[in-house]
Amino acid sequence: MSTPILDVRGLEVSVAAHPDIKIVRGVDLVVRPGEIHALMGPNGSGKSTLASAIAGSPAYRVDAGQVFFKGENMTAWRPDQRARAGMFLSFQYPTPIPGVTMVNLLRGALKARRGVEVPAREFLAELRATLQQLKMDESFARRYVNDGFSGGEKKRAEILQLGMMHPELAILDETDSGLDVDALRTVAEGVNALRRPELGILIITHYQRILDYIRPDVVHVLVQGRIVRSGGPDLAQQIERNGYDPILQELGLSREPAKAGA
Amino acid sequence: MTSLHPVHPNAPEAITPEVAAAEAREHGEPDWLAMRRADAARAHASLPAPTPALRPWRYTDLTRLDLATFEAAAARLHVTGAPADGYAGSLAAASDREIVRTHLGSLLPATEAKFLAANAALWRGGVLVHLPRHSAASEPIVVTLDASALAQALVYPRVLIVAEERSEATVVLRLRSGDAPLVVMGAIEVIGGPASRVRLLIDESWGAATSDFSWVRARLDRDADLQVAALAFGGALFKQTVEVELAGEGATSGIRAVALGDADQHFDFVTLQDHVAPSTTSIVEVKAALAGAARSVYYGITRVAAAATGADADQANYNLLLSGAAKADSDPVLEILTADIVRCGHHATVGPVDEDALFYLESRGLDRRSALQLLVAGFFHSIVGELPFAGLADELDARVTAKLATAAL
Ligand SMILES: Nc1ncnc2c1ncn2[C@@H]1O[C@H](COP(=O)(O)OP(=O)(O)OP(=O)(O)O)[C@@H](O)[C@H]1O
Ligand SMILES: [Mg+2]
Repeated sequence: MSTPILDVRGLEVSVAAHPDIKIVRGVDLVVRPGEIHALMGPNGSGKSTLASAIAGSPAYRVDAGQVFFKGENMTAWRPDQRARAGMFLSFQYPTPIPGVTMVNLLRGALKARRGVEVPAREFLAELRATLQQLKMDESFARRYVNDGFSGGEKKRAEILQLGMMHPELAILDETDSGLDVDALRTVAEGVNALRRPELGILIITHYQRILDYIRPDVVHVLVQGRIVRSGGPDLAQQIERNGYDPILQELGLSREPAKAGA
Repeated sequence: MTSLHPVHPNAPEAITPEVAAAEAREHGEPDWLAMRRADAARAHASLPAPTPALRPWRYTDLTRLDLATFEAAAARLHVTGAPADGYAGSLAAASDREIVRTHLGSLLPATEAKFLAANAALWRGGVLVHLPRHSAASEPIVVTLDASALAQALVYPRVLIVAEERSEATVVLRLRSGDAPLVVMGAIEVIGGPASRVRLLIDESWGAATSDFSWVRARLDRDADLQVAALAFGGALFKQTVEVELAGEGATSGIRAVALGDADQHFDFVTLQDHVAPSTTSIVEVKAALAGAARSVYYGITRVAAAATGADADQANYNLLLSGAAKADSDPVLEILTADIVRCGHHATVGPVDEDALFYLESRGLDRRSALQLLVAGFFHSIVGELPFAGLADELDARVTAKLATAAL
């Protein structure tokens, strides 16, 4: 079998500023080239934290375990090193950056990813093509990053970046949330158009809908920081129909009440 | 550039009325100017040197600066772009004009402060921009003050801008010096006639050992509009006071500054927006990004007189600390004497860069330095984006990128 794009081994993650807040409690996850994995789970189960930790967010601390990317242990790598190596995270809540235009961000990101300055013409041509594919107006690129974007615009902007960056691993954290039905189809088509044999995709979602467009090979369920179940696409359908309660009951777990901080 | 008499303005006896008057005669200036220079020298002798006890000087201590070791000298001046029927060039050469006699020193009198007195007594060259009624300068008037050939010198830049009724111009002041120690005491006066529109961009690119103490003061008549923007990148110590008197109904002003500091650079901005007439509008936005052990200070006053009903004033000072050793102090003051105002706000922040924004950019492959270059350029953008200087945004981006390429982050 080919080397996994992503190989997460026994990962335990806590909040960097509050190491006593343990969120991810031992996750193993292998994504191979060309595979699509879906990660589901109740609110607060640790999906975004896992995604952030894989991307190298300094807000979180890895207490145990490793993250391998294309066979290399990158647990200690900085986020920018991971991104340059081909990892891409589409944020659940993309950060507004007033003053920095999408164009400037993309130009910097592309230069970083490719290791050379991309000629202006080539860059513009790629930008236009990607915008078109995502049915986004060109004026969008001149706006400040995520600043005053609607929820749907933010998600499209993430996919625009994904489209320009050509990563080998794409983690889509609730990219479907906040999109209207047409936008969801456009974004999903955009993602599908980017599919290449070497690209691995991890889709974090609460809904079956996006998985109708982007068919997952494997569906995982994360509960209280652990993957408690993995299965085929029917697992997502099952969750769509019955929610998480049957799974929780079977495991003898109760639904965690929402709590502040810890 | 020739060196003048060995002047030690720190010692009260050094600038004498005789020296100042001789300065005037030597350059063929009219008698009234010779007399004013002599008066300024007298004022200089009696005025106290600024100390931190004076509020605008609270955070800028001059005791390290031994002015007695500096000698007065003139920087090289270069002016391009003349307004139609107007004048843009040497102030000394234009000193026989009535407008010079009327307006020079009318806003920044020599009796007000020691450094202003020194400037009034000994300014050399100087620049006059005169915009006659209804005239519009199609191209920016670019004044370059190049002190790069000077060392251990005291430079007294003097600029007088007289914009008559409904005139319009953009004036760009480019300030340059080399690596040698230099002290600058500048005075810029802007007379904004009725419905005049003046844009003044001050590009401070002093060398690393230059200390600059400069005043910009403007008086705006009915419906006049003045937009001042300062880009502070260079210098060891840069203290700039920008004051606008909104004297005529409907006058508007904008004072904007960005400072990017590194090493032990010290930036000190003082602003005054003085709303005297009704329905006047003003904006102040001062932004500093500080690397190394750089420091910024802001002290600003918004004053609204009892008669200035319907005033709209906003004052903001934002400081981005790029390193643990950088430091910023912010001291905005409101003095409002009427309840009938549209708005009178002030905002001040001091803090590090937004970690979330940094992670976002890093997650796109930008290393920390590149991410900070983008964030700081973006931080400055909100100011420059509103200014009508073509190419300024790109110039600023390039300069931020260049300076942060080596800054201590
Ligand atoms: N920086 C932090 N400080 C404190 N608590 C945190 C922090 N980050 C995450 N948490 C907590 O960790 C838990 C998991 O959060 P996370 O965002 O990973 O959940 P999620 O599975 O993505 O939820 P959702 O489906 O709502 O997006 C939550 O209880 C959250 O409040
Ligand atoms: Mg989440």
